[in-house]
Amino acid sequence: MSILTVNLKHLYQRRGLWLVYVCLGFFAFIGIAVSFKHPAAGQGQFTGLVVLAFVVGLLLALLPIEILSKPFSYCLPGHRKVVRNFIFLVAVVFNFLTSLLFLSYPGLNSWQLVLVICSAFSAGLIFYWLGVWLAFSFRNSAAFIGFLPLVIFGSTFFGLYAIIERAIVGNPFVVILVGVLSSCVAWLWLGNAGLARRYCGVPGIGFFDAWNRDKMQKYRQVRMAKKWDKLKKHPSPLVETFFLGRMNRYDYVGTGRYIWGALYTAFGMLVLSWKEVLSILLLALVIVCFVGYMGPGTNILFIMPGLMVAQMRLPVYSSMLISGGRTERYRGAMTLVITAAVLVTVLATLVAALSLPLATIMPDITLRGRTLTFSAMNIELFFIPLLMIPIAFTIQLIYYRRPVVMMVFIMLVFMLLFATSIIWREQLSAVINPMYIVSPVVLSWVLFTLVLRYVCMRRCLAGQSV
Amino acid sequence: MNNEKPIVQMRKVCKRFGNIKALDDIDLEIHPGRIIGLLGANGAGKSTLLRHIIGLYLEDEGECVTFGCKAGKLTPKELGRIGYVPQEGELLEWMTVKQLIRYVSTYYPNWNRQLEEKYVADYEISTKARVGSLSPGQRQRLAILLAIGFEPELLILDEPAAALDPVARARFLDLLLQIIQTENHTIIISSHILSDVEKVIDHAVIMKEGRILLDCSFDELRERFSRVRISALGGELPAELPFENVVHCKRSDGQAILTVQDCPRKKLQEQAQKLNCWVEIETLPLEEIYKIVVSS
Repeated sequence: MSILTVNLKHLYQRRGLWLVYVCLGFFAFIGIAVSFKHPAAGQGQFTGLVVLAFVVGLLLALLPIEILSKPFSYCLPGHRKVVRNFIFLVAVVFNFLTSLLFLSYPGLNSWQLVLVICSAFSAGLIFYWLGVWLAFSFRNSAAFIGFLPLVIFGSTFFGLYAIIERAIVGNPFVVILVGVLSSCVAWLWLGNAGLARRYCGVPGIGFFDAWNRDKMQKYRQVRMAKKWDKLKKHPSPLVETFFLGRMNRYDYVGTGRYIWGALYTAFGMLVLSWKEVLSILLLALVIVCFVGYMGPGTNILFIMPGLMVAQMRLPVYSSMLISGGRTERYRGAMTLVITAAVLVTVLATLVAALSLPLATIMPDITLRGRTLTFSAMNIELFFIPLLMIPIAFTIQLIYYRRPVVMMVFIMLVFMLLFATSIIWREQLSAVINPMYIVSPVVLSWVLFTLVLRYVCMRRCLAGQSV
Repeated sequence: MNNEKPIVQMRKVCKRFGNIKALDDIDLEIHPGRIIGLLGANGAGKSTLLRHIIGLYLEDEGECVTFGCKAGKLTPKELGRIGYVPQEGELLEWMTVKQLIRYVSTYYPNWNRQLEEKYVADYEISTKARVGSLSPGQRQRLAILLAIGFEPELLILDEPAAALDPVARARFLDLLLQIIQTENHTIIISSHILSDVEKVIDHAVIMKEGRILLDCSFDELRERFSRVRISALGGELPAELPFENVVHCKRSDGQAILTVQDCPRKKLQEQAQKLNCWVEIETLPLEEIYKIVVSS
C-alpha cells in the first residue's frame, strides 16, 4: 500500500469527517438543485460548487497539517511529498466533478461548453488553493470554519456568485491562466521541505479538537509553557477572596461549601478574565446590530447564549478529588446550572429590552436596492434560555465523553427549535400563553434534574465509561 | 496477619466497560499503615480499582467499602481522609498555583501549612505561575502536594512519578517514607517504574487483565523468588542440577543462572552444597519477579 493511499484512507476512517461530508453534501445539493431549477445564465446559480472548493481546500489541508504535526510523521522517507500529492489529487477530483455542473449551462455551443468547463475547473482550483493557503498560513485555521456562514451570507448578499459566474463564462482564458498559475505556485509551495519542518512535532488544533477537552488542555499546556515568562500578571485576588469567604461560612462537611466551590470554579475564570468578557459583550452588541437587520432572525440571540453556556463544565465528571462526594457533586452542579440559567435569561432579556429603543434609533440601510430595517427582539421569548440551558446540559451529561456528538446534537436541537420558530411563527405566536411556556420549561428542568441525579449517583464519574 | 480492621475492603468486585472486563472478581483488603504497590501492565485494571476505592467508579457486582462506608456513598467526612493523585493530572488551569492550593485547602480542616511551605520550597514549585502553564513534571508535583497537604490517612497515587525527573522521583520516594512514618497512614501506589516502587512498598498486588494474580507482603514475595548463580570449580557443570521449582535456566561455559520459585533459601543452600561448585543465591529485583508472575 502506497503512502498516498494510506493518507487517503483518512478521508473515510475519520468519523468526524462524515459529518463534514453531510454538510458539504447538503450545500452541494442546494447548489445543484438551484442551478437545475433556475438555469438562468449570469445569475450566479452555477458557482455555488466552485466557491465550495474553498471550504474543501481549507478542510482538506487541515488533515495533512494534523498528520505533519505528529513527531516523525514526515521525517520518514517519501512522506514529505505526500502532502502535495494528497492535496492535488483531491483538488483535481473534486473540481473536475463540480465543474461538470456547467454542462447544463444554457446558451453555449459545444466548443464554448468545453471552454467554460475548463474555466470552471480552474476557478474551482483558485478557490481551493485559497482555502489551502489559509489553512497552512494561519495557526489553528480550523477556527475559520466558524466564519463560513458569515462568508456565505455576505457572498449571497453582495452578489459575489454572479460576479464569479460572469468571470468563468465571460473570461474563460483569463480564469484558466490564473488557475494554471496558481496551481503551479501551489505545486512548488507544497513541495517545499520547509513546510514539513515547520509543522513537524508542533502541536495544533485540528478537526473538532475545539470540543475535545483533553486535546485542548494538552495544546494549551504546551503553548502556555512557551509563554512562561510572559505570564507574570496575576488575576485579581478579589474574586478569590469573595468565593473562598463564602465557602468558609459553611461547615466542612456541609453542602454549602461545595456549592460555592462549584460556583467559584465555574464563574471565577469568567470574572477573572474580565477583558475577554467585555470583548464578548461588545461582540454581542455588534451581533445585535447585525442580526437586528435580519428580520425574524433577530431572536437567534435568545438561542446563542444556550450554546455558549453548554461549553461550561459541570463539576460532575472530575478526577481532581476534593472531599465532596456524589451528593455534593449533584447539588453543586444543580446550583451552577440554575445560576447560569438565571444569569443568561436576565442578560438576554436585558438585551431584548435594549433592542426596543434601539429599533427607534437605528436607521434604515439601503444596500443594492434593498432597504433593511432594524427590528427589535421579541421580548416575549425571554423564556427560551430557561428552556434551552437545561436541554443543553442534559445533552452534555449524556454525551460528555463524545464532545463532537454532544456539540452536533446540541446544535441540531437548537437549529430545529429555531427553524420551527421561524416556519410556524404565526401559529406559535397564536398559542403563546403562560401555560404553553411554563410546561416545556418545567419539563426540560425535570428532565435535566433526573439525568443529573442519575449521572451523579449511578454513573462512573471519571475516565473511560459507557 | 494484620489484626487491625481493613480501611478498604473489596469483595467480588466486577466492573465492565462494554465488552471489556476491567475488574474481574476482585477480593482485596487494605490494612492501615502499609505502602501497597499496585503493579500491572497498561489496561490491567489498576486505575479502575483505585477509582472504585474513592467512589468515582461504581462496581457492577460485588461491594467496595472504604472507611466502613460503601465507596459510592462516601461523604465529605470519609473523603476528607483520602488523598488522590489521578493519572490524568486534572487541575484547574486558570488559577495560579497559589490560588489552587488555597482553593483545595479550603475543603480540609487539617490542612498543614508548614508541610505545604516545605514541599513548595523543596520541590521548587512556583506559586505565582498559572497552573495551565506548568510543565507535566511541575503539574505532577502540584497534584502530589494537593493530595498530601491535609495529611490523609489513605493516600492513593495513580502513576504519580511518571512525569517526574529522576531527582524529583527520589525526593518523592523519600517523602512517601516520611509520610508512612506517621502512624496508621496508608499509601497505595500504582506505578510502572518498578525499580522505584520496590524501594518503598511493603505489600505488593499484581494485576493482569482485571484480576489480582498476587497479593502478599513484599518480603514474602522476595522470599518466594530467588536467583541462583552456579559456577563450576574446574570442569563442567553436572547435566542435572538438583534444584526444584526452576522457573528459568540459562547455562553457558561452566556457568548457570537459575530462577527458582517457592523454594526456601535454606533448602537452596542445602541443595547447593551437594554440588562441587561455587554457588551464589540472591534476591530477584521486583521487575523480574513481576515478569515471572505475569507470564506464569
